[in-house]
Amino acid sequence: MEKTEKQDFLSMDRRTFLKVVGAIGASAFLGLHRSQITKALELSKTKIIWLHGAECTGCSASLLDAEDPDLTQALNKLSVDLVFHETLMAHQGIFVDGKPASTSELNSEILLDEAIEEGNYILVVEGAIANGPDGSGKYCMYGERTFKDMFAKAASNANMIMAVGMCAAFGGINTADSDLADLTDFRGVDFVKESHSKGMLTELGIDKPVINIAGCPSHPDWILLTLAAVILGKIDINDLDSVLDKYKRPLVFFPETNTMHDNCPRRGYYDRGILDEDFSGEGCLLKVGCKGPYARSDCGLRKWNGGVSMCTQAGSSCIGCSEPGFPDSTSPFYEMGEDKPLMYGVDIDTAAKVGTAAAAAGVGIHAIRRFVFKDDEE
Amino acid sequence: MTKVVVDPLTRIEGHLRIATEVDSNGVITDAQSSGMLFRGIERILVNRDPRDAARLTQRICGLCPTAQSLASVNALDDLFGVAEEIPKDALVTRNIIQGLNTLTSHATHFYVLWMPDVVNPAYRDILATVDDTGSALWKELLSRFAPISYKMDGEAITPGTGYINAIKQKKNLEEAMALIAGRMPHQMSTITGGVTYLPNIGDIGKLTSYYLTLMDFINGSTLGVDAQTWLDNTYRASSPQKAVSFMLEHLQDVVDGSLSSQNFSKSKGWGDFELFAAFGSELIGEDTLGLPVSFKFDRTGQYAEDSDVGYLSYGVFYDVENGDGYDPTGFGQKSFQKAAFINSALEKKTFDHNYITEETTHGFYTHDEALHPFDGVTEPVRTADEITFEGGSDSRYSWMKAPRYNGIPCEVGPISRLMAMDEPLVTGLMSFFAENGYSAANSFTRMVAKMQETLILSEQLLKWVTVDLDPNGRYYVNTELKMAKDSQGIGLWEAPRGALGHWIKSGSDSMVTNFQMVVPTTWNGSPRDANGVAGPLEQALMGTKISAAENMMGIDNANPTGILHTARSFDPCIACAVHTIDLTGKNKEQGTFTIV
Repeated sequence: MEKTEKQDFLSMDRRTFLKVVGAIGASAFLGLHRSQITKALELSKTKIIWLHGAECTGCSASLLDAEDPDLTQALNKLSVDLVFHETLMAHQGIFVDGKPASTSELNSEILLDEAIEEGNYILVVEGAIANGPDGSGKYCMYGERTFKDMFAKAASNANMIMAVGMCAAFGGINTADSDLADLTDFRGVDFVKESHSKGMLTELGIDKPVINIAGCPSHPDWILLTLAAVILGKIDINDLDSVLDKYKRPLVFFPETNTMHDNCPRRGYYDRGILDEDFSGEGCLLKVGCKGPYARSDCGLRKWNGGVSMCTQAGSSCIGCSEPGFPDSTSPFYEMGEDKPLMYGVDIDTAAKVGTAAAAAGVGIHAIRRFVFKDDEE
Repeated sequence: MTKVVVDPLTRIEGHLRIATEVDSNGVITDAQSSGMLFRGIERILVNRDPRDAARLTQRICGLCPTAQSLASVNALDDLFGVAEEIPKDALVTRNIIQGLNTLTSHATHFYVLWMPDVVNPAYRDILATVDDTGSALWKELLSRFAPISYKMDGEAITPGTGYINAIKQKKNLEEAMALIAGRMPHQMSTITGGVTYLPNIGDIGKLTSYYLTLMDFINGSTLGVDAQTWLDNTYRASSPQKAVSFMLEHLQDVVDGSLSSQNFSKSKGWGDFELFAAFGSELIGEDTLGLPVSFKFDRTGQYAEDSDVGYLSYGVFYDVENGDGYDPTGFGQKSFQKAAFINSALEKKTFDHNYITEETTHGFYTHDEALHPFDGVTEPVRTADEITFEGGSDSRYSWMKAPRYNGIPCEVGPISRLMAMDEPLVTGLMSFFAENGYSAANSFTRMVAKMQETLILSEQLLKWVTVDLDPNGRYYVNTELKMAKDSQGIGLWEAPRGALGHWIKSGSDSMVTNFQMVVPTTWNGSPRDANGVAGPLEQALMGTKISAAENMMGIDNANPTGILHTARSFDPCIACAVHTIDLTGKNKEQGTFTIV
């Protein structure tokens, strides 16, 4: 119950709210639009429609692991009505002789159509949207329609769209290189990998405010704190540029100025030049393929699952799952590139103190950055 | 005939459509199970560094990512030729990681995905026919099992305590996993050659504490009798009959002690399991315990008497009693939960993976030949016109393929695993149902098997953590890419929802040339095969009554609980089940991390 006590922050006054959220690293983000704190809570309940496309439900599973607050507390505190969420809802689509049967209390398809019609909701999308074959979208069907059509309808009437996880934000694993990629033609909501022009919204000609919550899966804090900030009016959905990076990721969680590596629990080993050659040590994991230097996430500070650990703390090299080009731009996961990369954001003095193996690698830094952050230089 | 379609079937992972025909007696006479998504995941593995499979295949399923990763890791240990050298403590750690994932998945399935159907309005109406007992029971069920965002007659229903506490347990277990594997979902520790992290002394203490939190939940909510006592008298019973007798006598005690007072609280012995076990089954509740009403889940999801559905387990959890290493091909002979094929007459046979084939006569693919996974070829249809779900049982109607074992469709999951390991309670219950004119496998016995496996694994988990794990042991053997040159590997494992196999081949550059997965829901949710034989879920639907408790309140096609209970009892995971498989040896640039 102790934890429950701490979880009240979403209903705290602004000062306390910022103090608490600040303590977990989100104050800059949440504090940017102080003047707009008010309205949402005074309005009627905020409705959320959460759709699942081509995905693994891992981001929903991750959301269920939220703490301080947990999901049900957050919905309560934020006065959120989670109208539609396929994995959690009591309803299902029911058709008798081809016609939707029963009512919106039992039939998810009727419920969804009614909720879209009513409007005034935040659309959350988990999963990529199939455009193939040939623009038909029929590689993903859902309730007797294509998911592409369903998304188009829901997106058209949404106040804003949150793309949760890599599949919805950038295509993720669905758009990884393969000889089928052109056929399936999966799209993220507003991007495919680094390309904004290939996003499904552009394809459909729909213009809506979009926030991309990266990560494979997304961290529950990233999802809930962003939702909270939007619902509480702490960010203005019509002026998102100042709080998002060019891939529409919230800057506070995906900072432009530093990377996971900066706060890696194994950072001390890197600084001392202790670079492990395999997975049985405690040193820096750079040489076994760690992509932490290119991953613009706050994992090192925030950690995962109640803050108990994170990837590199558990001895595993970062696979860069917050980057738009994941998994192609950050794989092979267990190999360094041909050019030995050096840390993004590390000054030359620090690099000079590093052991010879890493220091010799300095030449590769710009190439690596261009590769992972593809259009950085554009 | 009325056409009743459930699409999407929610509260599962992924997109599943169930299309049925229902006759004038309210009985399902035909059924098609359709996977609705084509993702192309395995195709991306071709031409990649094989080691990446241990991370990438997890992305198929966020509910059982660990199982996908471990099936890959087993295949990779084999591919790299290091399976025999994997240190014992790496194997123990992998067991702990999978054990935690299975417990998480089972608890989530029971409370969050399955039990909300118990508070379907149909059961309110049925319970209203049995006076005070019915209304007291209805209140109890709502207070425990109502899901979030639930409304009845326009009123918002508060989520149930069991539901909320199960989510807390999921979180507790995933925190335990993150402690030793970095994070969940999509843990990071399981890799070719071992694990990346060996739990230290402090972690062992913390893992024990997570275990105790889990047991507080099980003893405080799930089970009305001490878990240890339960396992002593069921899992460790001297015979299946004794295990069943203990369960029935325990339930009778609970009923006798409280039914007349209409008190269904936990303090009277009504754990969530007891409520489910007593009121969920006609044979146990009404016929054995003398209850005035039951939900008759045992009458849903049955196989017809002449059906030929088998039960299959590949085996899971490494044998850690005998030191380092394991045998990837004979894996299930020594694993903690054993491999077996059990035929429809419940006779157990030795499992041989060479009998596995997949074919696509009724899937949206253009290469239909039945092939072993090592040689599998899959080519999806490429035009929109070819994708329709309206063509009936003779057409192509699913993105799932049809796996068969020696030509036989097989049910996979806890019920098959517990039969394969001769678990007394589940084998006893299945015989009990078969002897009384029911199908041994039905929605009820599937769920009991899941609960029993949860209890067995929670106990086993403690042993792995506190007895088998040496925090000073070795946990990794080095592998180099060149070790995978021109090789092949087989990874047999069990996901929480059933048998999971990965098959991999590599070329002269060590890159993947072929990657195949045969996953649980492809087995269970399979469409018809070339002979027109329906998959297990399809067969289980046919003969089931469409509405609640054998159409007790009449036929209501608009609330087809028969479909919901049957399909959800298989714990479907469609993201796993719909995948395309490689086209062997397509040339493409190697890898993608080429830096200039």
